[in-house]
Amino acid sequence: MSLAAGVLPHAVVAADPPCYSRAVNAWVCPEYVTRYAPELWDATVQHILLTVASVVLGFVLAVALALVARRRARLRSVLLGSTTLVYTIPSLAMFSLLAQATGLSATTVVIGLALYSLSILVRNVLAGLDGVPDEVVEAATGLGYGRVRLLLRIEAPLALPVVMAGLRVATVSTVALVTLGTIVAYGGLGNMLANGLDDSFKAQVLTTSVLCVVLAVVLDLLIVAFTRLVTPWTRGAAV
Amino acid sequence: MNSTTLRRARRGAASLAAVVALIALPACGGDDGDSDNGSGGESKGSLTLSGQNFTEMQILAELYTQVLENEGYDVTQKLVDTRDIYMAQLTDNNVQVVPEYLSGIGDFLNKQANGDTAEPVTSNNVEETVAAVGALAETAGVTLLEPAEATDQNAYAVTKDFADEHSLSTLSDLGASGLPVKLAAAPDCKDRQDCGKGLQEVYGIDLTEILPLGFGSREGKDAATSGEVQLVQVATTDGALEDDGLVLLEDDKGLQPAQNLIPAVNTEWLADNEDAASALNALSAKLTTDKLADMNVAVDVDREKPTDVAQQFLEDEGLLG
Repeated sequence: MSLAAGVLPHAVVAADPPCYSRAVNAWVCPEYVTRYAPELWDATVQHILLTVASVVLGFVLAVALALVARRRARLRSVLLGSTTLVYTIPSLAMFSLLAQATGLSATTVVIGLALYSLSILVRNVLAGLDGVPDEVVEAATGLGYGRVRLLLRIEAPLALPVVMAGLRVATVSTVALVTLGTIVAYGGLGNMLANGLDDSFKAQVLTTSVLCVVLAVVLDLLIVAFTRLVTPWTRGAAV
Repeated sequence: MNSTTLRRARRGAASLAAVVALIALPACGGDDGDSDNGSGGESKGSLTLSGQNFTEMQILAELYTQVLENEGYDVTQKLVDTRDIYMAQLTDNNVQVVPEYLSGIGDFLNKQANGDTAEPVTSNNVEETVAAVGALAETAGVTLLEPAEATDQNAYAVTKDFADEHSLSTLSDLGASGLPVKLAAAPDCKDRQDCGKGLQEVYGIDLTEILPLGFGSREGKDAATSGEVQLVQVATTDGALEDDGLVLLEDDKGLQPAQNLIPAVNTEWLADNEDAASALNALSAKLTTDKLADMNVAVDVDREKPTDVAQQFLEDEGLLG
């Protein structure tokens, strides 16, 4: 077996191997971040897009399901039970099964993660709507509000803080779950994280993990800021 | 609450929705395998290349991608965790090209067609295995192109000192030496024909103990260099053996099934894309075990990017002309 250097004759064989090489294999390695900046950027963008698309789809589904089930006690318990059940499906099985229908695509990941987010979102949308005081609803009805206007102008704004709290949890959990999309080649930072773990590539593992955490925090803060913006009456109270 | 607040809330919601729609749309597009080699001529169409996501397959995926792009195809790479995920896509023509291991795909297709307990159709003989696996593949709608000389088999290494001391170059030599041998290998080694069982029965090696330290693992190699074990199970394409002072003992009785690298292509797609076949066959003709081992070292040890390592190889071999 010939020497390793043979394959890259033009490569600079430096006296000090870079901190990302296996010989050094540092956890913290600025050279790694510089060298892999394009890959890290692409992975981060994919991660954000997958997260946002999944949470938006999950949120739309959750609102629709909650509105259908809110006044029907039996439907409501079936809905809560089944969304929790979906959450217990192992992601490996979920993505492998969905891949049969939607292939190796972002759609596979988005559908899977949206389904997972339902267990949190449906619960919070229902809790938010439940929290609207009966007397407010009665007063509005007395003022001649129809069902749609009641929902949009009275119930939705009052339910918003609780719904947004659920959205925060769902978003942060989705940022973490996106990494599992690597099973079908769409895992955002998870693709690089999985490779790093396989090859004990410490700089890659740490960098992608930190980026995931930063992403979760940034998205969380954005939701907090948005909630404060649209619910000025809650300012001063804990969101 | 007043109407200004509500209007603001609605406006906020509307603009959030707009932003989400804007950024969510491009999410549907795949990430392309990039590394455009600036080939002339118009595009011959697009294809999706899949495979398993570990170092050697990343290199193979890059090699395939770059020769196909050079040929004028637009290639999208989708590397996944396991073979069963992409095989379904390959037979359905959602994936067109996959780099494969001859006996790896052979055993998979054989089990799929004939059940888990089917007699193996793979052997140490490359031509016979290609013929047998090729027939199974055709039934599944997949065509195997030309195998490379490069093969990633289980192999067994000793330290150079140990080999010199006992003048060993083959596994038969080790069996004939009658030396008691401890082996570091994968946990399922003991009863496998290509591991513990075969080493004892075919080569007559006196295995006194098998330590389950994993396939080609750091721990296994360290155990060999420290003298804790004499024999360690590794891959033939492990380019880092020399650095550890290890040498392979030749599998002179052909215990290991042929694991040559071979392109697996969707048959239906191939009928209209013969150019892709000739490009991939030209690559297979140049790919040797030593060269693949070197590329593995460049990626695994020096942490070069698979795309750069692949491009360098293809330029050196004149495959991007």
